[in-house]
Amino acid sequence: MDLRFFEIYRNPEYLILLGKGALLSASLTVLAALFGLIIAFALAAIRYGQVPVLKWIAAAYVEFIRNTPLIVQLFFIAFGLPMLLGYEWPFWAHALLSLSINFSGYFAEILRAGLESTGKGQREAARALGLKPPVIFFLVITPVAVASMFASLNSQFIFLFLTTGIISEIGVADLTQSGLYIDSRTFRTFEVFLVLTGLYILISMLFKTALAVIERVLFPWKFVR
Amino acid sequence: MKEVLVDLLGKPEGIVLFQLIMAARFTVLLSAMAFIGGGIVGAIICTARVSPVSWISRIGSAYVWFFQSTPLLMLLFLIGLGLPKFTGWDVDPWTAAGLSLTLYASAYLAEVWRGAIATIGLGQWEAGRALGLTFLRTLQLIIFPQALRGALAPTVGFLVQIIKGTSLAYIIGFHDLMSVGKRWANAAVPGTEPFLIYPLLALFYFALCFPLSLYSRRLEARLGSAVSTPTTA
Repeated sequence: MDLRFFEIYRNPEYLILLGKGALLSASLTVLAALFGLIIAFALAAIRYGQVPVLKWIAAAYVEFIRNTPLIVQLFFIAFGLPMLLGYEWPFWAHALLSLSINFSGYFAEILRAGLESTGKGQREAARALGLKPPVIFFLVITPVAVASMFASLNSQFIFLFLTTGIISEIGVADLTQSGLYIDSRTFRTFEVFLVLTGLYILISMLFKTALAVIERVLFPWKFVR
Repeated sequence: MKEVLVDLLGKPEGIVLFQLIMAARFTVLLSAMAFIGGGIVGAIICTARVSPVSWISRIGSAYVWFFQSTPLLMLLFLIGLGLPKFTGWDVDPWTAAGLSLTLYASAYLAEVWRGAIATIGLGQWEAGRALGLTFLRTLQLIIFPQALRGALAPTVGFLVQIIKGTSLAYIIGFHDLMSVGKRWANAAVPGTEPFLIYPLLALFYFALCFPLSLYSRRLEARLGSAVSTPTTA
């Protein structure tokens, strides 16, 4: 009953594997967050808009994503869709697609709340200036909404990052998959997953730091004293 | 029930549906376990966090920080696979899944409830002290009844996260909706292809989660919400 971490760190192969896995996890998360944010903006614009049928579809999409587990979405996209439509993608592409779709549902809900809370006055002022509706949405309302929702988007992003280990289930060589491989070689299961937990926490802290810097760059007016 | 479903839907479909309905019971049971366990531990941690004794409060904060930063998957691996190998104990899937989800839920629930307590004015705490009540009595008699209102909607909302979280328990051999669905999707039986089984599974989870989401939203509209529900996939 002793912890033997050295079986993990004395082997360079394992260290490289962990590094590669961490890099893949982090980059897939960032890409999925970017794609997810783009889809979320589109969804939020539709729900903010005036077309009833589209609005209903967008709302249904968001509810469906938010009320079903990521793992079911992932397995459908990785195993169901390719069989149904007859295409073949690498594992990471399936993972990226399902993470993007999953993230978009959560981001869309946050953006919707932000857009709703952005004051009517802003919209009326923009309309009084003769701006067109798309311009008002993208250049007036959205920046205000994103600025006010940045903290929520941040913590959502971190929570979502912590769920990405699930993509190891479809064979993506992410951080969790690296851990599973090392575990299968060393049988130091407890130590391996303690190390993995530490790495996940470390990466989320790095993400938090990076996001704080991004906030300062994007919304400098928040930091004026 | 099995015969009725088979008669109605034919051979693979009726059996699949029957097995999924049976397995859904375990998903619900595990969710209930996690909610009750997480609620009890979460209440203790929440009390620690708002405690006036700074080192107790700090332990509470550290607990919440650690379990909110640890992926649920890692908790499952550590408790379900790591602990048995490390200690030589026999940890069955029920215990491992229940314990992992309890720890996970407790951190989030403690944080939600602390947020609800934070919306209650400091004057209320001072009033309790002025009446000669201890910290715990003040919390119980003055703060808790007021905080309950704002805590209800996000607490119900978090139930949805717990149910979705249980879908990972199959990884450590827990027998639930997900594990039964996955087995059928992998079986080479016509009519149980992944593109049929996974949407069906999604519908099952949706049927469990969506009413709770709606209810949480209705509570929020009626009672207000002290904090937003933390949402984790």
